[in-house]
Amino acid sequence: MAPTKTPAAPSSQNPVVSLWKAYNQQTPDRLKFIDAFLFFLMLSGIIQFAYCVLVTNYPYNAFLSGFASTVGQFVLAASLRSQVNPQNKNEFKEVSPERAFADFALGSIVLHFFVYNFLG
Amino acid sequence: MFYPLALLLLAVTAQASTLTLKSPRFAVSDSTGSQLRGEPFSLTSRTASPVKLGARENLKITFQVVDKEDEKGVQPHQTFIRFYDASTGEEGIQPVRVTPGGKAKFDLNLSKPPLYLPPTSDEPLKVSLIIGTPDYDPLSVQLFDLVLPRSQPAPVHPDEVVFHPRPELYHTFRPEQKVPNKFISLVFSGIALAPWFVLLGLWSQVAPRATGLFSPSILPFIASLGAFEGLLFTYWLKLRLGDVLLYGAILGVVTVFTGRQALSSIAAKRTQ
Repeated sequence: MAPTKTPAAPSSQNPVVSLWKAYNQQTPDRLKFIDAFLFFLMLSGIIQFAYCVLVTNYPYNAFLSGFASTVGQFVLAASLRSQVNPQNKNEFKEVSPERAFADFALGSIVLHFFVYNFLG
Repeated sequence: MFYPLALLLLAVTAQASTLTLKSPRFAVSDSTGSQLRGEPFSLTSRTASPVKLGARENLKITFQVVDKEDEKGVQPHQTFIRFYDASTGEEGIQPVRVTPGGKAKFDLNLSKPPLYLPPTSDEPLKVSLIIGTPDYDPLSVQLFDLVLPRSQPAPVHPDEVVFHPRPELYHTFRPEQKVPNKFISLVFSGIALAPWFVLLGLWSQVAPRATGLFSPSILPFIASLGAFEGLLFTYWLKLRLGDVLLYGAILGVVTVFTGRQALSSIAAKRTQ
């Protein structure tokens, strides 16, 4: 298991900063790894959508497949994260983290197949 | 070869009786009854001047059908008066009642115009007499021309427009969609690729130790996943659906085995 950091004393600064500090200190590195991936997917989806709205949706199928790939991958990664999180062990008694990763891999491959089909 | 010739001779020598008319006469009279024009007509020559009929006038045709040889009255099976308009091709035919003695009388009263008259055009109507009966030669002779007052035009059938060429159709299609300006495309391509750098930057900070990644129990699984991605990329470039499904099935079987091996080894390490 990845080592967790000991919680520090809560600061008197505004809640966002303290939330960020708590997140940084209490989340294991593995989950942060997945969180970085989720953040990247969100950014990518937002940028694609902004391009579609601002400039053009000309190859509409391309926009749809790109956007759907980010959204789909986000959903899969988020479910992986929640299943792998050791604090959720009581929620997912029958699903081992390895099983979760296998599901994630299978789902990603199927998603990629459909995205490539639609990409054109 | 002699058969049609024999038929011709037979027709010539057959009983070829002719009909003719005795005292044929037509008369135009107005609504009060006074006669405006009355003269005989003949089968051999057409009446020269056309007969003009006014709005309330009456045309009366009388004749007697007789055999040419013995001048006896004949009641033909079919006797018709035909009004034909050469310019439009319309015609109206009316049977004439003939007594057994051969006497016939035909009335055309324009106060009550009959329905069989064709609509009036610029040309006069050709009036002809048609008689047909067994044992006699048939008769179809133009008698005179008839000028009628103006009538309503012929009614047009509602489906008439379907039988003529219709106006040509011009479809308007949605204009072609244009590719936006190259510079804007490049700028936005750069912006779209920027999250990758963000990802790499974040991952460099929080990357967990990947010690077990290249161990012999886990590496085949990673390799099969990578092969799947490669297969899908190649499918995008040049493969067809049947091919990719076939290769994918084979690769899937391989991945199942490598995956079980890899993940069970990790699970064993975790529960230790």
